[in-house]
Amino acid sequence: MKGFARKRGVYVAQLDRTERTILSRVVADTALLLGTRLDIERPADDDDPLAGLAWSADGVAEPSDPALARLLPSASEDEDVAAEFRRLTEGDLRAAKVERLRMVWGALLAPGERLEVLPERAMDFAAALTDVRLVLAERLEIQTDDDADAVYQAATRRRRSGEVDEVRAALASLYMALTWLQESLMSAMLKAL
Amino acid sequence: MSAHPDVEQREETDVVVDAARPWVTVVWNDPVNLMSYVSYVFQTYFGYDERTANTLMMQVHQEGRSAVSSGSREKMEVDVQAMHSFGLWATMQQEDA
Repeated sequence: MKGFARKRGVYVAQLDRTERTILSRVVADTALLLGTRLDIERPADDDDPLAGLAWSADGVAEPSDPALARLLPSASEDEDVAAEFRRLTEGDLRAAKVERLRMVWGALLAPGERLEVLPERAMDFAAALTDVRLVLAERLEIQTDDDADAVYQAATRRRRSGEVDEVRAALASLYMALTWLQESLMSAMLKAL
Repeated sequence: MSAHPDVEQREETDVVVDAARPWVTVVWNDPVNLMSYVSYVFQTYFGYDERTANTLMMQVHQEGRSAVSSGSREKMEVDVQAMHSFGLWATMQQEDA
């Protein structure tokens, strides 16, 4: 994997086939958490069934899955304000996040190793990476800056000692790869401001 | 001259209440969002210059929270929704009178 750099006005990274496959899966998993399967072609005349949630008479509750709750957080400590906000905005927020994940997913599944992001889509790309990282962090139980440091340090130690929990080790590697990839994109985007 | 006394009185009351207690958008610290990303969001969404954006970002990082915008409840709803869209943890609240 080679991080993003700005070349002739376009943000370009290099990811091999294996890296693309692994990242595309975790992007699709994040969309699934938001209620949409990316690997199924949606008929053109099929309205998004989740859009109706925005106007549900019963309102919508805060998600019980903490990872989903992090993608769709409460907007206020005041329960009435939070419920009203969620009723009005959650459908749109879900749809916007899914569309960004779909864009990243498509870019990862495109042929070749070169990953190109146009400047006008760069913020959407970065925001989608954020959403994927938020979900991975929740699964890794990263709740404080110290937790995040511990994940990094454990990953460094694992290379020497071998890891017992392979799932956790894989999640941690993914999280760090995505963090590194997003950091390279932000560095290039900030320079272009 | 007072053709619509009720309307005038109500408007006046609303103005006094809103002016005394504006709403604010608060962004909270989290261990996931990159400092570079948060600064980029503050610069591009709110239009803050780099120095202001970085000051607010460091306030979030070090103090745990920062009030990043203020105004009407409707305006803060737009800002909070935008922050949630970017994956930042934001809430809206009415400032104490």
